Amino acid sequence: MPGTAHSYNVRICHWVNLIACVYLLWSGAHILLDFPELYWGHTGYRGYPAAFKLEDWGLSWDEAGALGDRRWGRNYHFTAAWVFLINGLVYVVWNLYSKHFRNRMLAPHSSYGTLQKTSYLLLIFVFVPFMILTGIAQSPGFTAAMPALLDLFGGRQTARTLHTIGTVALVLFVLVHVVEVARAGFFVKVRSMITGKER
Amino acid sequence: MSTRISRRTWLTTSVPALGGLLLTGCSERFVPPHLRGGLIGAADVLTMSTNRLLLSGQQLAREYSRSEVADPFPTWNQTNPRNAEYQLHASEGFKNWRLPISGHVSRPRELSLDEIRSLPARTQITAHVCEQGWSAIGEWTGVPLQRVIEEAGGVTPAARYVVIDTFDGWYEGYDLFEVVHAQTILAYGLNGRDLPRGNGAPLRLRVERQCGYKNLKFLKSIRVVDSMAGIGRGTGGINSDFGFHWFAGV
Repeated sequence: MPGTAHSYNVRICHWVNLIACVYLLWSGAHILLDFPELYWGHTGYRGYPAAFKLEDWGLSWDEAGALGDRRWGRNYHFTAAWVFLINGLVYVVWNLYSKHFRNRMLAPHSSYGTLQKTSYLLLIFVFVPFMILTGIAQSPGFTAAMPALLDLFGGRQTARTLHTIGTVALVLFVLVHVVEVARAGFFVKVRSMITGKER
Repeated sequence: MSTRISRRTWLTTSVPALGGLLLTGCSERFVPPHLRGGLIGAADVLTMSTNRLLLSGQQLAREYSRSEVADPFPTWNQTNPRNAEYQLHASEGFKNWRLPISGHVSRPRELSLDEIRSLPARTQITAHVCEQGWSAIGEWTGVPLQRVIEEAGGVTPAARYVVIDTFDGWYEGYDLFEVVHAQTILAYGLNGRDLPRGNGAPLRLRVERQCGYKNLKFLKSIRVVDSMAGIGRGTGGINSDFGFHWFAGV
């Protein structure tokens, strides 16, 4: 059975990814709060039938908008997205090369459990591409270059709504992840993700 | 301590600068006119150059069917500039309004609304995509910006950016890659009628591959320049002066 210690590429990518995701979540919340309504299809604006309105949950549109400066929401979101993307590509390429995926994620007997392996693989190869695609399907520039993105999700507003639902799902995943780490011994596990040593 | 900060500053500003250097030759097509420092500046260059590489064929933004049009079209931000000159033009039905085209063009001139309407028109049903997140589809009728500039003899070799000024005090710069695009039009019609005041009468810009804030309303003048330095805060437009992206393709 391969060792349980994390290689340094996994450790570096894990913490860079955490920083990028915190920025993405925070800046994404700013962007959403500046127009806290979600729609299905190609069209969505104030007064158009909405799938979700923050107003219905007790927070007025202006109050929500005042919570964030959308300039910096947008600046940090697209900056963090590049950090996230480049870090993710480094992680995938590096670990294909170093056989981390083969030894840990695909091997029948690895230090990762079956549920753990399945959820990590789904997260990396299904969920992350989904979030990237629903993100750029909202962009007028990228959709001009790749109009199929609009058809794939059935519209820019649908993509925005799915991007938001995906964010909620990701936050739930991270909560489960942290609970699992805590059950396995929070201090030892976090130390191992920093130092690479299990003991 | 001080050397550490200066090294970090040097590293973070050199990344976008290096990107700019690598792309010298046609840099304004891939890099904003003013490079911001740090990771944000590096991301600006990555976003714009990726977008422009993908759009190197000058593809058209999606055009929709008439049944998808939002009518009345939503209004946002400024809907009636208080500027006295604008109010006078509006009260006269814009018959004395003129659009000056100046700077690096062969024959600087002014065009009346009727002269603009007499030029070959283009109608496009496209999505207006606000950076805040809303979007609505409209049927825009107008003249390609490139065609209007040709009425002033076309640009001279020094031309790099087209600057548009508006009656609500806004201005934005556009590189020539954006200007020559077929869907970059000066629209005087919306959904088969004259452009309403709330949507930018008498004339507004449509740049369909960028967010709403680059689609200026209430046009006042067009200038062709060789550099955005010295205009506003020099970042290339009022939105980037405020801290938004200059290239608003995302």
